Amino acid sequence: MERKGFLKSLLVGAVTTPVVLMSCTKAESNIVPTEGTTGSVTNPGTSSSTCAVVPSETVGPFPTKSPASFVRSDITDGRNGYKMTAKITIGNTNNGCAALPGAIVDIWHCDATGNYSEYGGGGIQSTNLQAVHFLRGRQVTDGHGLVTFTTIFPGWYPGRSTHIHVHIFNANGTSLKVTQIAFPEGAGTAVALVNGYSKGLKGYTTNARDNVFTNDGGVNQIATVSGNTTDGFELSIKMNVAA
Amino acid sequence: MATRTITLCYRKIIDAASTKPWEKLVFEDTYAEFRMQAQLYNQEKKFTTFAELIQHVSGAEQLHFLVSAAAIGYLQQLNEIIPDVVNNLGKHFLRFTKFQFEIINSDLSDKSRHQVAVNFYSEPLFWHETIDNYLLVSDRPATGEEVATNLFQIQPYLTIHTLHTEP
Repeated sequence: MERKGFLKSLLVGAVTTPVVLMSCTKAESNIVPTEGTTGSVTNPGTSSSTCAVVPSETVGPFPTKSPASFVRSDITDGRNGYKMTAKITIGNTNNGCAALPGAIVDIWHCDATGNYSEYGGGGIQSTNLQAVHFLRGRQVTDGHGLVTFTTIFPGWYPGRSTHIHVHIFNANGTSLKVTQIAFPEGAGTAVALVNGYSKGLKGYTTNARDNVFTNDGGVNQIATVSGNTTDGFELSIKMNVAA
Repeated sequence: MATRTITLCYRKIIDAASTKPWEKLVFEDTYAEFRMQAQLYNQEKKFTTFAELIQHVSGAEQLHFLVSAAAIGYLQQLNEIIPDVVNNLGKHFLRFTKFQFEIINSDLSDKSRHQVAVNFYSEPLFWHETIDNYLLVSDRPATGEEVATNLFQIQPYLTIHTLHTEP
């Protein structure tokens, strides 16, 4: 290094160092509570009030638009159970129940033991688990008003018959219908074949006694379910909404 | 000397004032998802704010979980590196595999009131010394061979989340 440049670097060091020290002693800032209430808060992520070195790194990773983890056709996430393909067709009652393309369809249901994906008591979730949202999915209807999900045959839990939750939105995300799909029951049905997985069907709530399906015995919400425990099951249903 | 192992929690707030591209994407997409999911708990359209939903509708606390789906893709883009928090060389050094997403505030009719947080939980660190305002930590214990260390400062929204001491 040339002598001139070396002296210059010393000078820079001599000037900048005290500045850093001074800012460290002064810039103590209290955190404004950030709770679920009204009021303004500071943003720590971009704030310069914290007395720490700012990042000095190559820019990146570059964020790219990423859809919600619900957006997928296979919602199994490694949950054990009999494979089930669910084909849901959405019709528009304002158009003679013709197929409704472009509708957003969310479904969710419980696993073989009757549990839903949701936050547990501890609340700390692991990121590498896409499975955090197991058995939840979102698809957009095609030109025939159809969405298809690959999942497992749902289990059951006390107080409810076997069911799948469905939330139908228009293309803008406005809710059109929150509803549920019921399953045929009795001898020879998929519910009887699956037999509640390891639980059996003792204490099972039938559609007729189910609080949600009681109003019409579920007759407007019962899907067609075919298949067997070896090859898996196929569920199909048409649901009409006013769009 | 006792071996102290700590994990850190960094709570990153994202709101309308956030400026970085990643933050803006999380802000936009979690707000859109909130508007979609909130309808499940607001079928009579009686409420406009997240606080009202939480107060009046049973089960609405599920919204934290449901809306988190909109953030997960972005969290994966971080490659397990906690953002913002740097060591005294200005480099990111904290790794995470655990996080918790929360909605702080939101309003169906006013996007500017949407505010969420991601709590990042660091992998365990060995805490060797405290030098001035700085903590000297390493990923591995410093017994035997030398280990690479990081020197960093506790700052707002960063805290020691867990502590484990072994004699």
